[in-house]
Amino acid sequence: MIPSIDPHIRSGTRYVGRSVPRREDRGPLTGGSRYIADVRIAGMLEVVFVRSTEAHARIASVDTSQARALDGVEAVFTASDLAGVQSFPDHIDSIGPVRQRPLATDRVRYVGAPYAAVVATDRYVAEDAAALVAAGTEYEPLPTVADIQQALAPGAPKLYDDWDDNRSVDVVFHRPEVDRAFEEADHTFTATYLSQRQTGLPIETRGVAADPDGGMLTVWTSTQSPHMVRTTIASMLGVPEPRVRVIHPVIGGGFGVKTHIYPEEIVVPWIARRLGRPARWIEDRMESLLASVHARDQRHDVEVAYDGDGTIRAVRCTSILDLGSGEIFYPGTAPVFATNSCITGAYDLSTVQTRAVAVVTNKTPSGAYRGFGIPESTLVMERVIDQVARLTGTDRAELRRRMLLRPGQTPYVMHSGGRIDSGSHTESFERALEMAEPALRRARARHGGDPDVRVGVGYANFVEPTSPSYFRTTGHWGGGDAATVRVDPDGSVRVAIGLTAFGQGTETAAAQLAAAALGVSPSDVTVVLGDTERTPYGLGSWGSRGAMMVTGSVLLASERLMAKARTIAAHMLEAAETDVMLTDGAFHVAGSSQPSVDWAQVATAAWIRKVDLPDGMEEGLETSGYYHPEHLEHQPDDTGRFNSAASWSNGAHIGIVSVRISTGEVTIEDYIVVHDCGTLINPALVEGQIHGGVAQGIAGAMYEHFRYDSDTAYPRFASFMDYLVPTCAEVPSISVDHFESPAPEQPLGVKGCGEGGTVGPPAVVAGAVSDALSEWGVDLTECPVTPVSVRAAIRSAETAGAGASS
Amino acid sequence: MKPAPFDYCRPSTVTEALEALNSTESSRVLAGGQSLIPAMNFRLTDVSLLVDIGNVAGLDAVACDPGGVTVGAAATQTQVLDHDGAASVVGGLRAALRHVGHLQIRNRGTVCGSLAHCDPLAELPAVALALEAELVLTSVAGERRVPAHDFFVADMTTCIEPGEIVSAVAFKRQDPSERSALLEVSNGGNVFPVGGVALRWASAGGTCAMARIAAFGVGSVAQRLVDAEDALVGTDLGPEAIAASVAAARNAVNPTGDMHADADYRRHLVGVLIERGLLEGEGP
Repeated sequence: MIPSIDPHIRSGTRYVGRSVPRREDRGPLTGGSRYIADVRIAGMLEVVFVRSTEAHARIASVDTSQARALDGVEAVFTASDLAGVQSFPDHIDSIGPVRQRPLATDRVRYVGAPYAAVVATDRYVAEDAAALVAAGTEYEPLPTVADIQQALAPGAPKLYDDWDDNRSVDVVFHRPEVDRAFEEADHTFTATYLSQRQTGLPIETRGVAADPDGGMLTVWTSTQSPHMVRTTIASMLGVPEPRVRVIHPVIGGGFGVKTHIYPEEIVVPWIARRLGRPARWIEDRMESLLASVHARDQRHDVEVAYDGDGTIRAVRCTSILDLGSGEIFYPGTAPVFATNSCITGAYDLSTVQTRAVAVVTNKTPSGAYRGFGIPESTLVMERVIDQVARLTGTDRAELRRRMLLRPGQTPYVMHSGGRIDSGSHTESFERALEMAEPALRRARARHGGDPDVRVGVGYANFVEPTSPSYFRTTGHWGGGDAATVRVDPDGSVRVAIGLTAFGQGTETAAAQLAAAALGVSPSDVTVVLGDTERTPYGLGSWGSRGAMMVTGSVLLASERLMAKARTIAAHMLEAAETDVMLTDGAFHVAGSSQPSVDWAQVATAAWIRKVDLPDGMEEGLETSGYYHPEHLEHQPDDTGRFNSAASWSNGAHIGIVSVRISTGEVTIEDYIVVHDCGTLINPALVEGQIHGGVAQGIAGAMYEHFRYDSDTAYPRFASFMDYLVPTCAEVPSISVDHFESPAPEQPLGVKGCGEGGTVGPPAVVAGAVSDALSEWGVDLTECPVTPVSVRAAIRSAETAGAGASS
Repeated sequence: MKPAPFDYCRPSTVTEALEALNSTESSRVLAGGQSLIPAMNFRLTDVSLLVDIGNVAGLDAVACDPGGVTVGAAATQTQVLDHDGAASVVGGLRAALRHVGHLQIRNRGTVCGSLAHCDPLAELPAVALALEAELVLTSVAGERRVPAHDFFVADMTTCIEPGEIVSAVAFKRQDPSERSALLEVSNGGNVFPVGGVALRWASAGGTCAMARIAAFGVGSVAQRLVDAEDALVGTDLGPEAIAASVAAARNAVNPTGDMHADADYRRHLVGVLIERGLLEGEGP
């Protein structure tokens, strides 16, 4: 339900909408934060996982005797020791079951798959022992599958013997109106677009510590969703859920990587229980690159029907996601559906037919990464528009203007059933164009005299589904979240939320909202999160849901609390409840500030001085609210359509690049973002999200790429020498402006902004570099755009040109 | 990413260091550790004894005299960069050091360590070639001086004999009329380049009197491009001379392709960077 306290806040708050300083920064900035690797428990053992060095093999035997004999080694466990542990659940019937075991049993399907765990008194000894286990492992290699093409080839080696082939899902809904549009259109073209394999790469790698002391299994883990981890540990280990406590300490980044529930989060608690001693595992960077989920590895085969005037009549798109081995919980299939759902971006184009395919390969399992399929879809749509503009001689910006959703066109139902509730799709693009004009002039002036440099501009207009349903993704959990609000006897407010926080500023926002709802100052509000014993059941933070969920749940709980507080205050003031008002933290009768009772007096009555309470009133001043967004749907209808997100933010990105022709070097001269995430709770937090998101988007556009050997499926990366991560030196200055189109059906009109920054850059950079190289007719269709790929594009255009003219 | 067990010592004299080095088969010298330590943590290198030369008196010296600059084995890249005397004597070295790693790496990494490591993608071996540096190798038998062009043999391989350490590298003073440049291209700001060139040349009365060109990242080891140099000497450094030098350079290198760049790109790049360097080079 929607909290009715909403209008009260809209009209009178001093805190919502202001850049209240973040309360989360002192720890990280001063080195005082306690991360997972800082958790110390007396007698704690160190766990190291032994990981497959084969991409695809049967494990013939594992000899652990030498490792066990090493001084300092307490135990070595293999899959058979964990026979009593349940497998990870396969909740979704429509995708291929992987029956994932916490440790690989007799078969490994990617380099990095854990198949044994060494427990020792320190990490050095544990790694020595792990090396001995590795040396004592005999594999029988199996033929490998290294990419989408190999996975789909007739007679390809199968990763799962009981599957028909390597497809985990293959879903298409036929749209007759698309066929008709293709028949009627003047022209068609086909193209293939590629997004490369990347990862979210939190600075803090994963880690798990577990303490079995006193009948309670306490687990510290660097996760985005501690309640979901608790449910999964309890069910897989067969421990009553109240006996499991999951805590996330301070988290150094998540980006979707830490939404999944990993084998280590089951095995380390199991080890602690088995040995009756605390144990921990800290993922090192090499493991992190191999064993935390990858993402974005998609191919898109696109057919476009268009008219001579540039009108795009219809699009057919087959999106194929490389899942890696698929051995991850929850499964990694959902992003390809998100790609297809959002492929039309912020444009009015409903004649679209999509096919979603996910294939398994002998690579690291892929899963969630900030953007969740939408950087991929945006690359496809924006490149398609540029190509149509080129083929028809239409101005690229003008063609976008014609296609964008216009004011008054919302709510707009997309081809996928997504219901865009509101937005500023045209206005954002127009504003971005305005901001881009002087920047473009500057860049041209700067480089105009250099015959080796060309300047180009690239565009992206997208929608960002926020607060999505988790049901289609996990097959289990839904889409709401919870808050508990309590006023203690001294009048201080405690807000406990099921969300998690790792940089977003959720605690600051929660305090602003509670302060606004209860008429106190944010500094009076203590925010608690990340501990299943201290917070109500929630799904955690992902899917740009934090802002909407914290708003809905905190306001709902506050509304219930206010109702009770008002009754108590009225009783104490001997006034009618309807006459009681709250001003500056004090309850009084309308029209007169005295007499008054403050929050401390009301809360003291509620908790302690039963004599001050109305007759028959229950003691206590604590309420909870579980907010589930209006109009959020969890399952598609029989045509495959559903509104999978509670609201839809939108954004327009424009990038201006210079390209050095001789070397292919690309410099982003200026990057412009106009973003609309509805009502802003705290503008500074939103700006931060956009800047960080764009940086990660640029990482995908120009740098990061996990490569595998195509013959052996062996990873060609082990460190940041091979996986190139941009730093502040490579990220340009970013200009940001906002529109605020409130979500009409959500509390305060708040939407969400966690992912939009990452969505634009691949499309923008590929588009801008292609524009810069337009005299060669270059049309970049994949990322990352690197000096080498730019030179290759110029070279092949020159070769083609020479061939055509001869 | 923890190393296998190894022994460690921290001698205070060169003699003690050499003794320790000779005491066991797979001993290694630890200077800045920017390449060796990661290799040990990845368990790619077998080391039984680390001989840390960070405490050897005098080895961290950066000494300037009228003849040039001598950089001791333990002197960091930052030390040389920040050394005003060294910069004015061998400007080409300072220009090049700005491209090595990033600040944190230069704070630990040593000039001699990078030369001894002989990574084909590293800048400093090519710089040593272009500046005609001399390596000082010390063993219990005494000292020998090896010109840079004899020192670098192949990928990660130099002429250092067992029992020898690089105790210093000597750079000759650059004439004030000389110009030098280091250019490279990488796929990302803080990573190894895919290729680059170190240049040094001098002109008198409009005619090129001397040219030194060394390339890195375009073969298994840093390489002097003598034909490309010869194409410049005696010319006016005009477009034709530069084109001839570029062609000679592309002809002389034998790059391989890898995941970061293909061979064609690298060959092309060498020429582009020589041309740009000759137009942009700065004085010492």
